Amino acid sequence: MLESVLASGGLVLLRDSVEWEGRSLLKALIKKSVLCGEQVHILGCEVSEEEFRDGFDVSINSQLVYHDLFRDPLNWSKTGEALPEGALGALRAMYRRTDPGPVIIALDSLSWLLLHLPCTTLCQTLHTLSQQDTCSGDSSPVKRVCVLGLLHEELHGPGPMGALSSLAQTEVTLSGTASQTSAHILYRRPRQRPTHKIQWFSILPDFSVDLQGGPPLESQPHPDPDTPLVDPTTHLTFNLRLSKKEKEAKDSLTLPFQFSSEKQQALLCPGSGQATSHIFYEPDAYDDPDQEDPDDDLDI
Amino acid sequence: MASVGPCGTGTGTTGSVAAAASKNNVTSFQRRGPRASSSDSGGSRLVSIAGTRPSVRNGQLLVSTGLPALDQLLGGGLAVGTVLLIEEDKYNIYSPLLFKYFLAEGIINGHTLLVASAKEEPEKILQAGPVSSSRFGHYYDVSKKMPQELIEASKWHGFFLPKKISSTLNIEPCSLTHGYIKLLQFIQKIIYEEGFDGSNPQKKQKNILRIGIQNLGSPLWGDDVCCTENCDNSHNLTKFLYILRGLLRTSLSACIITMPTHLIQNKAIIARITNLSDTVVHLESFIGSEREANPLYKDYHGLIHIRQIPRLNNLICDVSDVKDLAFKLKRKLFTIEVGCGVGHCLRNWLLSHLPSADGTKHILDSWGHREQKGPGWHTAAPEYQ
Repeated sequence: MLESVLASGGLVLLRDSVEWEGRSLLKALIKKSVLCGEQVHILGCEVSEEEFRDGFDVSINSQLVYHDLFRDPLNWSKTGEALPEGALGALRAMYRRTDPGPVIIALDSLSWLLLHLPCTTLCQTLHTLSQQDTCSGDSSPVKRVCVLGLLHEELHGPGPMGALSSLAQTEVTLSGTASQTSAHILYRRPRQRPTHKIQWFSILPDFSVDLQGGPPLESQPHPDPDTPLVDPTTHLTFNLRLSKKEKEAKDSLTLPFQFSSEKQQALLCPGSGQATSHIFYEPDAYDDPDQEDPDDDLDI
Repeated sequence: MASVGPCGTGTGTTGSVAAAASKNNVTSFQRRGPRASSSDSGGSRLVSIAGTRPSVRNGQLLVSTGLPALDQLLGGGLAVGTVLLIEEDKYNIYSPLLFKYFLAEGIINGHTLLVASAKEEPEKILQAGPVSSSRFGHYYDVSKKMPQELIEASKWHGFFLPKKISSTLNIEPCSLTHGYIKLLQFIQKIIYEEGFDGSNPQKKQKNILRIGIQNLGSPLWGDDVCCTENCDNSHNLTKFLYILRGLLRTSLSACIITMPTHLIQNKAIIARITNLSDTVVHLESFIGSEREANPLYKDYHGLIHIRQIPRLNNLICDVSDVKDLAFKLKRKLFTIEVGCGVGHCLRNWLLSHLPSADGTKHILDSWGHREQKGPGWHTAAPEYQ
């Protein structure tokens, strides 16, 4: 289910591309979390705050906690508004907050952070952020933290993408056909086989998700005919089976050293016009037809 | 290298061989083995450490990896003082199992453990370990968890990177990644303080230190070898392995490392890492690959490739004849089986489909075995012992 990607917690990657943009899905998931009563923090880096809040109701907007990195990412204006320590400080501040209850941290976007911070630092920070499940001491309740990051696939090479994928608990990749968008969801649980499913959906103007069935059947890809089922009996250099005629011929063949009475007679009396075998001999140029001893010419 | 064998008894045998020969009058050959008997003349004494045995081929001291099948493929076990590198499978499902088998074997034998990880707490790794279902033979049951009292009774040290490194915003450049330096210092401290390198002469009972390092090279250790193709500090991992091997060679320890090599973009680094490790095993799982649909592999979860076996005090190494090994994770057991290449399958298909000379059809299982050896474990690997 598309809505339950945030339920398991951990790091959730939302991978989009130029054709299939993911910000609307990000906003739809945020809206759903707010309606469920969870606390949502947003770190905005790519678009301005007004543009991000555009389309949300007033009630939802009032419950979002927005950390703005877009207006002044390097803190040049030195007013109190901007985040003083930059992106890394903002993330670490979120880690240190102490309010209980499940929290969703939405990063818009993770690509921006990946381009501005070293990959290893970002991975370590995301890991500590998303592993906040068990706290020290038994008094505080279990805080479930879900870090939802928007990642633009085309901006990064296979290295950082692979590193982030290995850290993520869930990966949602957007693609689709001409008419519909699909989300390919991959669940990676710690000690179990990963499971994946494909969900077709569309986002309505008020950022609610409309789940749909798949596209019409003829546009679905057929199973690849190029991968054959491996049959070990193809391309053999020997016969596995005999046909009926060959079997009869094989059965009726007499073995060379098995003596039957006819064969015995034939061998004992070879004459009487029975031409069993002929030897055809063509004399070579070097052959001496003379039967005498060739060493007689030598004068010793 | 910790080598136990004829070198140890060589100083004492020359005098005693003649004595033995005159006593028995049968043979002057003396049996190699852990029974020191009366041939010690005060030279180096053969000590038998719990959980180790000398290799029959060259007297090298071996410890078990926890999986008897893997021991057999590696030539009897893992040599003390060497590194076993496990190249992880893509979704990191099966390599933690080998890691835990190694540690569980250490707990059963009473070895000291050192568990290092940047992802999980070492305590949690030990708690999830498999428990031995039988006292003899070490058949571990993967579905059960290690009882807490066993863990508490054993001696172990944990290294969890986020706790050891305080979060500093400034990243100072140095020759080796900060996390790696801390880990090496920790290992060196444990080896020195507990006397694994012979530096503490009061210790009467020698013991083996089993070191386990999980996910080495991943970005969580602070190493960017997995993130970029041509990184500036591309020698972090190779330097770490070199220094680690130096520490291991001078102490009674064995190390297992799991590394996500499928994330490393620069293939030259993988070749260097393979050369710097002693034994290298690569796990390739079928999940998500096109081999999953192949009917040859339908019973199995992946392939094991033994990439390298070390030549320790030898000119040659005993490389196994079998090249195609597959593994399967059953509910209780991790098994390694032989022979899933096309040639083997064809042979077994033929044997099962053609009538034999006496007209009866033999029913064989998929590997051509007629009887079963152990609890669900078939192997055709030749016996090396």
